[in-house]
Amino acid sequence: MRLAIGSLARASGLDEERVDDVRIAVSEACTNAVFTNEETGSDGPVTVAWVAHPDRIDVEVGDRGPTAADQPDVLDSQGFSSRLVMSVALLEELADELSFESRSGGGSLVRMSFRIPEAVA
Amino acid sequence: MAPFDPDSFPIARGRTPMELGLDVRNVDSHAVVDVKGEIDVYTAPKLREKLIELVSEGSYNVVVNLEGVDFLDSTGLGVLVGALKRVKAHDGSLSLVCTQDKILKIFKITGLTKVFPIHSSVEEAAGGAA
Repeated sequence: MRLAIGSLARASGLDEERVDDVRIAVSEACTNAVFTNEETGSDGPVTVAWVAHPDRIDVEVGDRGPTAADQPDVLDSQGFSSRLVMSVALLEELADELSFESRSGGGSLVRMSFRIPEAVA
Repeated sequence: MAPFDPDSFPIARGRTPMELGLDVRNVDSHAVVDVKGEIDVYTAPKLREKLIELVSEGSYNVVVNLEGVDFLDSTGLGVLVGALKRVKAHDGSLSLVCTQDKILKIFKITGLTKVFPIHSSVEEAAGGAA
């Protein structure tokens, strides 16, 4: 999956650093969905969908687990952030736009956008 | 929004399946783990097991060499944090070798550059005070 989204990002004109950002962000969202499914025993699919616009790439990652988890514990007993908190930090930093939504019918949706800079003339 | 269609995207280049290479060697009484490949939710457990194994064998000064790592996400970070806690419980140390900007960036965003000593070579990592 990372290969496909990376190819799209590169073909859309993003530079290599941004291509890496997209791969990491989409991977993070998918990993979170996988963990949500595992932890809640849900066997619904994790879906990834994207649309390439001229000025941005929109990606949606969805799961069918129970509605979005409560705010995770920020710090564990030794002062380290949980994996999920680190993951969200990465998503917030790497995606230009980010939102978390609950889906009708159950599950969560993570929407992110990556802007494509205008080509240099 | 169109659903993902795997046939609609040409694969950029041939790649071996997701694998993680782990080699362990000893340098100046440090256990050095040379990691090659991608660390993600599927391969991170292998690294985790190797680090647990090292600590259980009594290696408390560990260097994880990330120079051969092409991809790292929060699952990899979680494994490294877990290993750090384990060696610290034995008054040990865990440091990293990484000069790749794309990997360093991940540590910076998550604030882990304040947590792990990060060196530019194995020699530097193993030569420092434990």
